[in-house]
Amino acid sequence: MDVLRLTTLLPELPTERTHLLDNLGRARREIGPITPDLSDAIADHMGIRRGEVHEVVSFYSFLQVPASVYRVCTGPICDCFGAHELLEGLEGALEVPCLGHCDLAPVATNGDTILPRGEDRPVTHSANHGPVLDLGQADETLADYERRGGLAALRAVPTAEKIVEELKAAGLSGFGGAGFPTGLKWESLLQSPAPRVLAVNADEGEPGTIKDRYILELRPHLMLEGALIAMRALDCPEGYIYLREEYATARPRIETALSELAQAGLLDGLRLELVVGAGAYIAGEETAMLESMEGRRAMPRLKPPFPTQVGHLARPTLINNVETLAHVPAIVANGGAWWAGLGKNGAQGTRLWSVSGAVAKPGCYEAPNGIALRELIEDHAGGLTDEVGAIVPGGAASGILPPAALDAVLTRDGLREYGAGVGSAAVQVFPKNYSVLRLLGETMRFFAEESCQKCTPCRIGNRAIHHLAERLEEGEAVMSRARLDEWLETMERTSICGLGQAAPIPVRNAMAHWPELFAPLDLVSVGSER
Amino acid sequence: MIEFTLDGQTVAAEDDELIVHAAARHGVFIPTLCHDDKLAPYGGCRMCIVGVEGAPRPMPACATRVREGMVISTNGSTDMYRRVLTEMLLAEHLDANPGGRPNELTDLAAELGASAPFLLPDAKREQYDDRNKLMGYEPDACILCARCVRYTQEVMQCSALSLEGRGGHARIVPTWGKSWLDTECELCGGCLSVCPTGAIFEKFLNGAPPDHENTLRKVQSTCTFCGVGCRVDLNVDPATNRIVKVTSDPSYVSNDGNLCVKGRFSFNFVHHPDRLTEPLVRGEDGLLHPTTWEHALQVAAVGLKGVIARHSAQAVGILASARLTNEENYLIQKLARTAVGTNSVHSCEAT
Repeated sequence: MDVLRLTTLLPELPTERTHLLDNLGRARREIGPITPDLSDAIADHMGIRRGEVHEVVSFYSFLQVPASVYRVCTGPICDCFGAHELLEGLEGALEVPCLGHCDLAPVATNGDTILPRGEDRPVTHSANHGPVLDLGQADETLADYERRGGLAALRAVPTAEKIVEELKAAGLSGFGGAGFPTGLKWESLLQSPAPRVLAVNADEGEPGTIKDRYILELRPHLMLEGALIAMRALDCPEGYIYLREEYATARPRIETALSELAQAGLLDGLRLELVVGAGAYIAGEETAMLESMEGRRAMPRLKPPFPTQVGHLARPTLINNVETLAHVPAIVANGGAWWAGLGKNGAQGTRLWSVSGAVAKPGCYEAPNGIALRELIEDHAGGLTDEVGAIVPGGAASGILPPAALDAVLTRDGLREYGAGVGSAAVQVFPKNYSVLRLLGETMRFFAEESCQKCTPCRIGNRAIHHLAERLEEGEAVMSRARLDEWLETMERTSICGLGQAAPIPVRNAMAHWPELFAPLDLVSVGSER
Repeated sequence: MIEFTLDGQTVAAEDDELIVHAAARHGVFIPTLCHDDKLAPYGGCRMCIVGVEGAPRPMPACATRVREGMVISTNGSTDMYRRVLTEMLLAEHLDANPGGRPNELTDLAAELGASAPFLLPDAKREQYDDRNKLMGYEPDACILCARCVRYTQEVMQCSALSLEGRGGHARIVPTWGKSWLDTECELCGGCLSVCPTGAIFEKFLNGAPPDHENTLRKVQSTCTFCGVGCRVDLNVDPATNRIVKVTSDPSYVSNDGNLCVKGRFSFNFVHHPDRLTEPLVRGEDGLLHPTTWEHALQVAAVGLKGVIARHSAQAVGILASARLTNEENYLIQKLARTAVGTNSVHSCEAT
């Protein structure tokens, strides 16, 4: 450890606990991996007990590894497209869950450099000219953004009540994965006393999901305008953007955009700050994100109370996903009815669909809610490149669909018969030669490693199902079907947060659509397992 | 007071009371593992989940407060969840009895008829050996309820234990895996006292048979180490008639069941061969001789009275032992000021 550098760095580090993650990240970049001594020095400087800083350092994946280490994504799509070969070729490389660059699979990173297919070449985007977000063309500056109609809504922010009305008319639901109606969320925030806080969830981590990164890298002002509209209308003088550490290209884009907005006087009276994570999928769960921003382990809180009642530092807090906020300026400018009319098959509006895997043009496309899976793949992603084995419609916990679902409409209703959901609209197409049990096993391994560990059903259940899937690949069952059903139900019903609650969905989907893979379950009975 | 429904019966509770407490007062025992009344509600192990009408899923009774008109059921599907949660915990519980302490998890498993269907392949945790002589820790008995860590943070306000890592790699370990002696730990043993599975244990009981705990006779006493006067239970092994450990119950008012390193671990003096067990008076031969309390006190009184007669009461000073309780110190100053008539009274109390 560079002790001299430490003595000059420490006085520069703010001592409020909310800066802990930031301080640790800075120490890691400027001094080196957080060792016990370094952790204790920062703890003493900030007046936090050493043990609590130890807990935080050990919770996040990247604080104890050098900033320059190679990280190789072994998320399902990268795994399918050769991540493990890439991993073997890079000495000392770290295996990490989805890095959010599934359109460039298999992907690795080195420091802040993204390596598509393991090579040092620019990050490219494959997007389209959609009616709301129009990611087909990037904005270089705030002036570009304004020229294309940006800032109109921010310059004449209507009352909160009027916006809530339009959001409800639009039928806008959160795009992070849970799909909570945005208008209702804003309305419930208004029932808590001001001043309130805005937190933008840019901790995109659901495997296969790249949409927030596309927005932040191509048109960051869209999200920022939405955020500023929310802050002005809802009386939130303070706002935070919680960005996942891995999105190194997006980070300077946001910082530049923020300073442009400040120069234009659009931040006057408001404080909007960037908070960078340190590698933890669960920090994307809204209350875990609050814990993380407050300088603690990202362990989800018990609900109720909800963040709109008791949020960041116990203040009423609105937490919206990047894409959700990016749609707000257009809805405010053009009205909820206009936005709603962009949907099809009974659904409202458009959204970004991350498409990856066995398609000709993996990327992120704005298309109507209610689009059919085949239409999305053929009209936007260039069509299939291989025979389909399985499709994951919207992130790890959304489910696993059989090839027959290609003709399904991508809505909650359309996917109900398959027991799946749209989730974060991250369509991952797996070729036939990729084993479904491998897909399930890798998904459960991901959940097991990303579980915050607090509640029993999530910490142990996911590891157990991962074990089950691995053994099933060898044709062996470690538990009976009856017991598996009980364990899945217990995970779904008694887990604290969405991670454990939703983890059983892909398992049940796989059991329903590929029953032959689970036949060994019937060879053991309750009590005779080993 | 409010009214709520508990398993079909209308019952009363304090507003904002935790369900687990309100139910207990009405004779309904809801099992818990991660809950401790001294600590903020945690709701981690999920063992205490109950059905709450209108809630989307069962709620933890240890972290949910009763509200007027709430309809709570403690039986029904939650029974199955409780059994499965127990099975899950057993699937990574490799060592049920490292130090002879009681184990609430195995007790619950026996009650619910739960057993582990298999052991998780990654259940084995890194072993931990501490050079201190008082407390041992067996990670394989830990169920990650974090009561110990939360006790150090919320009650002792010290940095002794940490909840490290996440997912299957999570473990509880003295901060940064150091020896307890190299952390802020004062070896008070509070973490040990709140551990539901005996993963943290008294080292000197290491190897005791699993049923040992139930045979111990608890003798209530007051700690003799300082003026606080913590109430303690001296645990006596009837087979040897010796104190084998000291515990304290959370219901004890003066100390809430908390003890310090001396109170919990330093009881060996009781059985020390050099310990005074009867009054001694120095004879003409210059040596100390056993005698009765009555005679000893009389000798002391005569001596003190002689000093007062020859040199006045102010010539007497009384120095009280640091090991007296607050009440005994009160009596000492009373004796000094009223019976002897001196203001020279002092205690070396400094704990």
